[in-house]
Amino acid sequence: MKNKKLTGAQGVLESLLQEKVDTIFGYPGGTIIPVYDALYDYQEKLKHILVRHEQAAGHAAEGYARITGKPGIVLVTSGPGATNLVTAIADAMLDSVPIICITGQVATPLLGTDAFQEADVMGITTPITKWNYQITTADEIPEVFAKAFHIAKTGRPGPVVIDITKSAQTETFTFNYPTHLSLPGYKPQLTPDPTAIEKASKLINQSQKPLLLIGHGVLISKAEQALLNFAEKTDIPVASTLHGLSAFPTNHKLYKGMIGMHGNYAPNILTNSADLIIAVGMRFDDRVTGNISKYAKKAKIIHIDIDPAEFDKNIPTNIQILGDAKQTITALEKSVKKSNHTSWIKQFNSYEKEEFTKVIEKEIRPNAKHITMAYAVNLLSEMTKGEAIIVSDVGQNQMAAARYYKSNQPNSCITSGGLGTMGFALPAAIGAKIAAPDRQVIAIVGDGGFQMNIQELATLAQENLPVKIIILNNNFLGMVRQWQELFFEKRYSFVNLKNPNFIDICKGFFIPAEKVEKPDLLPKAITKLLNSKTPQLLEIIVEKEGSVFPMIPTGAAVDEMRLS
Amino acid sequence: MKNIKKTFTITIFAENKPGVLYRVTNILLRKKINIESIHSFKDKTTQLTKIVLSFEELENIANKTIKQIEKIIEVIEIKI
Repeated sequence: MKNKKLTGAQGVLESLLQEKVDTIFGYPGGTIIPVYDALYDYQEKLKHILVRHEQAAGHAAEGYARITGKPGIVLVTSGPGATNLVTAIADAMLDSVPIICITGQVATPLLGTDAFQEADVMGITTPITKWNYQITTADEIPEVFAKAFHIAKTGRPGPVVIDITKSAQTETFTFNYPTHLSLPGYKPQLTPDPTAIEKASKLINQSQKPLLLIGHGVLISKAEQALLNFAEKTDIPVASTLHGLSAFPTNHKLYKGMIGMHGNYAPNILTNSADLIIAVGMRFDDRVTGNISKYAKKAKIIHIDIDPAEFDKNIPTNIQILGDAKQTITALEKSVKKSNHTSWIKQFNSYEKEEFTKVIEKEIRPNAKHITMAYAVNLLSEMTKGEAIIVSDVGQNQMAAARYYKSNQPNSCITSGGLGTMGFALPAAIGAKIAAPDRQVIAIVGDGGFQMNIQELATLAQENLPVKIIILNNNFLGMVRQWQELFFEKRYSFVNLKNPNFIDICKGFFIPAEKVEKPDLLPKAITKLLNSKTPQLLEIIVEKEGSVFPMIPTGAAVDEMRLS
Repeated sequence: MKNIKKTFTITIFAENKPGVLYRVTNILLRKKINIESIHSFKDKTTQLTKIVLSFEELENIANKTIKQIEKIIEVIEIKI
């Protein structure tokens, strides 16, 4: 490949091959045609998934990246192609997902002239990317791509946009892929400071009521085993954020469930009893902390993160350890004393029992009248033995999936956590299935969110990917309705949906589909869904005005969580 | 005293590339911080862009904002 003359378009694809890319999610258009023309000759090496809307290409790339840990690749045109992608870029930014978005741009001489399909993609995407760059001449391509991949996947991962003019795609140049990169301002620190480890160990050894809060960073750095070793040695109970789900075995005696607004009762309540919180790869999001002025006031806080800007951002911390989660937890595990916290761990039992009796038991029990979201997800969890990849959308369906699906493999709970993007699940499930063809991939969506990227049924049909889709249909924008019921005097303002006939819609897209309304028919319908070798959809009509509990209302403290 | 805004003058050293100033001011805009003064130029000895800017803000917000500016890939160092 040394000193080979290529067009810019070929250079783009050769750069992707240098980075061991195997899949592209994209949609062609005017200013990216040269790259698509080159792709015609690269079809053996680069699989291209033709989506039906650019936003979906972004979410599919996120799904792919969340499973593989490798950057997901998006290829779209300029103007509307790029602006359609904006939501997915912002989503990847908030959830630290490595994606590389290649957006076509008008020819270099036309920049800034309001040319046809010109949009200021640099200006639009600067605040929602880890890095972006506009390529205006072909010889910039190799270095920019090498930097883009390095930046997207190292440190705290995130989205990178490469905007490339049409003229840069058609010029010829000498292709040399760099082996050394000059990034003087970008040096993520992976190795923790030994002094911080020592100080943290001292606090951990002294603590009577420690609590481990684990987030997405654990999965990103593949720190699951190190975390398990550390938790077992120190006998510290573990609770997970929405994105930390599946990083710790759900059936482990130290696992206490999910924290946050709709998380589990015990870890939320006891956050405010803990004398030490060890937060790993999480960022004290407002959905996790509730009212920050009443959050963990009795606890000292050790915060482990790879992003220094997260320290003291939301919650003041006592010890900050900058570094990779795996390296840091491994170092801590070596440094701390073996201990046990039997009486502290026992304190979780009564709250767990209370949540089970007052919420879970009622929700997961088969009900003669209607199916609840919890019953459906719990049944799915049991029938798949927790082995599926669950890609949930946003809202009540997401919280039901997070609460009731008991994953037993890492990287198995994919959702839009930070941005909360309705319409995420279907395209992200497509990306996840391409990344993990041998695993069962199930999208769990609501009737509202499903219609936000419903066109991707066509992508699914074209690729004949056996993604399974479950619509939990209550004919409402359920989470907003729940808030209106609880906090706005039941003034249901524009949350009632007259939905299309989803089965007929699927028929039009050549996707086999079934609808189930009666609880006793659900097991059979799920069996059929799981056994299908093709894409398949199951619409489950659920309780119309069901609510997700427990809940920490906005402004309330974590220990003011409501069970009803 | 915690709620009194102070003037912060920071000096940012960054790679001399298009858009760096835009990235910096974007972060200030996100926090609705008004720039009181700004001077940006290429330092002839280091070939780096040097941006000297001042703004009035509460100390904790200023500190968080500076940390966000440090995350810009092209930014090499910030002196406060």
